[in-house]
Amino acid sequence: MLISVDLITGALSFLFTVLIFSYLLGDNPLFRIGSYIFVGVTAGYVAAVAMWQVVYPQLLYPLVYGSMVDRILVFFPLLLTGFLFMKISPRTSYLGTPAMAYVAGISAAVTVGGAVLGTIFPQTLATIDIFDLARANSPFASLVSGVIILVSLVGTLAYFHFGARVTSDGTLRRFVVIELLSWVGRISIAITLGVLFAGVLLASLTAFIERIASWSIFFSSF
Amino acid sequence: MKVISAAFAIAFGLLVLAGYFIPALAPIQAVLIKWAGILLAVSALIGVFNLVIVHGEKIRSREKSNAYSTLLLISLLLTFVFGLALGPGHPIMQGVVNGVILPVEASLMAILSVTLLYAAIRLLRRRVDVMSVVFLLTVLLIVALSLPFAGIPLLGDVLRPWITQVWAMGGARGILIGVALGALTTGLRVLLAMDRPYGGK
Repeated sequence: MLISVDLITGALSFLFTVLIFSYLLGDNPLFRIGSYIFVGVTAGYVAAVAMWQVVYPQLLYPLVYGSMVDRILVFFPLLLTGFLFMKISPRTSYLGTPAMAYVAGISAAVTVGGAVLGTIFPQTLATIDIFDLARANSPFASLVSGVIILVSLVGTLAYFHFGARVTSDGTLRRFVVIELLSWVGRISIAITLGVLFAGVLLASLTAFIERIASWSIFFSSF
Repeated sequence: MKVISAAFAIAFGLLVLAGYFIPALAPIQAVLIKWAGILLAVSALIGVFNLVIVHGEKIRSREKSNAYSTLLLISLLLTFVFGLALGPGHPIMQGVVNGVILPVEASLMAILSVTLLYAAIRLLRRRVDVMSVVFLLTVLLIVALSLPFAGIPLLGDVLRPWITQVWAMGGARGILIGVALGALTTGLRVLLAMDRPYGGK
């Protein structure tokens, strides 16, 4: 008798949900079995994906079947890959440092570029754009919203400003305007984190309901 | 080796950074980022190999939790061998994703709801100040306003967007800009070799 892949998938899904939900009773062997198998399967899957989608098509295939230009272009990452494998042994680990430095340098540059062009400029421009009342459907409401957003943005940034001056009695004190803005920032951060917390809570409750519903679907399939 | 490593980080990092602002350097930037992607994939493989070595050592030395390590290694090797032979898109591999990886991730997310509720209750018991009261009131309001209030459209349609898209927007933008400024500083420190996360200091 052939058992369908869907039935096996459903049974596995049910089993692993029970194993993980057993954590609600505290840390126990069932939860550990579930989590260790999860780590193993995920690591094996990630390694297979890395081989199929990156290492083979971008490194091995051009080396074996590519043109001379492809082979020259693949030489440098191949060399760094060799150095990277030196990290496995503590004795040759230092040889892998240039490869790690290459990745760190590229990551740092991408981070700097992303921070400036992907966050700081767009977020600042978006805040300025709210005050473009000519494009707003309701100019007064847009102006009020813009002022609230601007004050809470500046307040949030002021909250993380830790510069202070020494007063005559030797205590450290922030500038009055910074202190006021910082208080507004505290409230603003509390509201923002509250909204984020509520979003995560609702998402996790949805996941809870989805898991219970999956049991119902699994049992109704018999 | 320290000098070579720092020179690698600075030279290639600055080339990639320049690619954002000088269009002529964009093709070089793309090639360098592609090579970094290859190295990251190889790093992931080395990480998995290290996981195998660590748990293999636990089994060999008959540590207390070696049964769990055996389960981990068997599941890892089976998934890797089948994944390598069949490819990640094969129905059997998709069955593994849908039968193990997704249910466990969804279940962990579901457990998070209990943990978050417990944390919220503990916050009210441990620390009662303006910030925590505003935080919890916002949570209660957003969760309550997310419920389907069929007869009261004003609450869900006006009040909820007003809180999330006006009051929380400023704070979120402030946090985002703050994080970006922090990332910018950290990135520049690496590019100027003041910080060397790759070792060599």
